[in-house]
Amino acid sequence: MYRSQQLALKYLTAAVALFGIMTVAGVISAYYYINPDFLFGILHFNIAKILHIDTMIIWLLMGFMGAIYWFLPEEFGRELVGIRLAEILFYVFCAAVAVVAVVFITVQYGNSNEIALWFINQGRKYVEAPRWAAIGVVVVMAVFAYNVLGTAYVTGKVTGITAVLMIDLVPLLVLYLDAFPAISNMSADLFWWWWLVHLWVEATWEVLIGCIMAWTLMQLLGTSRRIVELWLYIEVALVLGTGILGLGHHYFWIGTPNYWLTIGGLFSALEPLPLLGMVIHAVYDAGTHHMKTTNRPAFYWMLAEAFGNFLGGGVWGFMITLPQVNLYAHGTQWTVSHGHFAFWGAYACGVLSVFYLVIQKLRGLAYLEGTLWKWSFAALNLGLVGMVGALLVSGFAQAFVERAIGGSTHEAFMLGQENHWFVEGMITRFIFGLVFAAGYVALVWDLLTIGKRTPVLTAAGVAGAAE
Amino acid sequence: MSEISLLQSALLLGLYVALAGGYGFVYTIARLQDAIRLQQASFILYGLHGLTAIAIVAWTPLQIGWKGLIVASSAAFLAIPPITWRFLQHTHETEVQ
Repeated sequence: MYRSQQLALKYLTAAVALFGIMTVAGVISAYYYINPDFLFGILHFNIAKILHIDTMIIWLLMGFMGAIYWFLPEEFGRELVGIRLAEILFYVFCAAVAVVAVVFITVQYGNSNEIALWFINQGRKYVEAPRWAAIGVVVVMAVFAYNVLGTAYVTGKVTGITAVLMIDLVPLLVLYLDAFPAISNMSADLFWWWWLVHLWVEATWEVLIGCIMAWTLMQLLGTSRRIVELWLYIEVALVLGTGILGLGHHYFWIGTPNYWLTIGGLFSALEPLPLLGMVIHAVYDAGTHHMKTTNRPAFYWMLAEAFGNFLGGGVWGFMITLPQVNLYAHGTQWTVSHGHFAFWGAYACGVLSVFYLVIQKLRGLAYLEGTLWKWSFAALNLGLVGMVGALLVSGFAQAFVERAIGGSTHEAFMLGQENHWFVEGMITRFIFGLVFAAGYVALVWDLLTIGKRTPVLTAAGVAGAAE
Repeated sequence: MSEISLLQSALLLGLYVALAGGYGFVYTIARLQDAIRLQQASFILYGLHGLTAIAIVAWTPLQIGWKGLIVASSAAFLAIPPITWRFLQHTHETEVQ
């Protein structure tokens, strides 16, 4: 095994741990909506929410990095350049995440001064990490880029997938520089802040997961490089073509010019079209293999990614993306519902697929199958769908009562919060959050044990299983 | 937009994309299994998608430009499954040769 693959295992392990923290913080955040006195004076709601959202970003990012460190040495046929530096920075990255989490939990917030900005909280949603930690993220991403670009330069070997990946690393790194607040005008600040949040999530991350899924398809189903690369180009072009200017669908209520609302609505309304193409591609691949594979958990998670992306990004997104609806739905639990579903479908399911692919290689199994993964798959997806359904109902109530009837006054906000549809939606979300958490526990146990008690099948056994 | 129109419009828009997805999904399975009935079912789903598009155009207070986009998207949704299918077949057959 290459050293970069050993590093990949560390990143993937850290990703699983952070996935757990995200889940716990999410369940706690959900419970605040039912019992606002919960942990009163000990842990504020906003801190639990920050932990939930920030660990979601970090676990997915570590999952992507782990996957790329796993696949890249096989792609280049050699160890990655600068791997020692990457190994050191992994520990720095983990230590920084831990320190930031402890500061968030214990210090929580500071005064509006430079010290708070540097050492406590930058105060910008999704990128709250204090400035020193944000610089650390830049350094980690720069070394990651060096590993990829340096190895490509040394080997002189650039495949279609690595070319797409290398191009993507540039905006991935440059856009993160936007995490450092430097503008005191809030409208201007939010305008640029969305460039980071939206373009990371709906542009650069889409490309990253596209590359990872291309490698996964090659290893999981034996699809040829020529085919996956061709589709990678097409799908990345379509997703970027619709996703980049979809940026405008966030520009509500922050003082941006009106034309952005039309641009954002138009391009994001086109986003379901490539997502439908991806669903067809996934069904085609599954069908031509007659749903048979040597790694069923990875295969099913990959299918869940295609469908989850279409439902979460396509269907849920299209409900709210046209300006006349977005005007009312923006910032309600309705958008939270869309966000949960889209992140789960577009990214989390893909990373979970990679976990199982790596486990199979790691344990030297010709065939990976079991029972527990099905329970975890069912509980995680049921929990997630239950949560997004409940959030959708709560969001409807908010948009209906608070926005459309009440005209977004403070009194209307309170009426919206007290509406029984909203309250029942929040309770239901919490219950399904617990189902999701149970799925996470099953997932971890399964990742630790799957294949360990199963005898390694012979080639003949595998052929029999695949028939 | 009234509160009722808001929910009606949003639900119709979600249904519009969900039915397009259902059409693409069933169409692909129908082609894989060479099943006429499933292919007919896929076109029924597309028909429902078309009816949803008509409902959006006729009943929702969306501006005319967005309604035009809905109609144009419906045409694209109709074409995507067969075009994608042919392209997938072509790329895989070329690979086998």
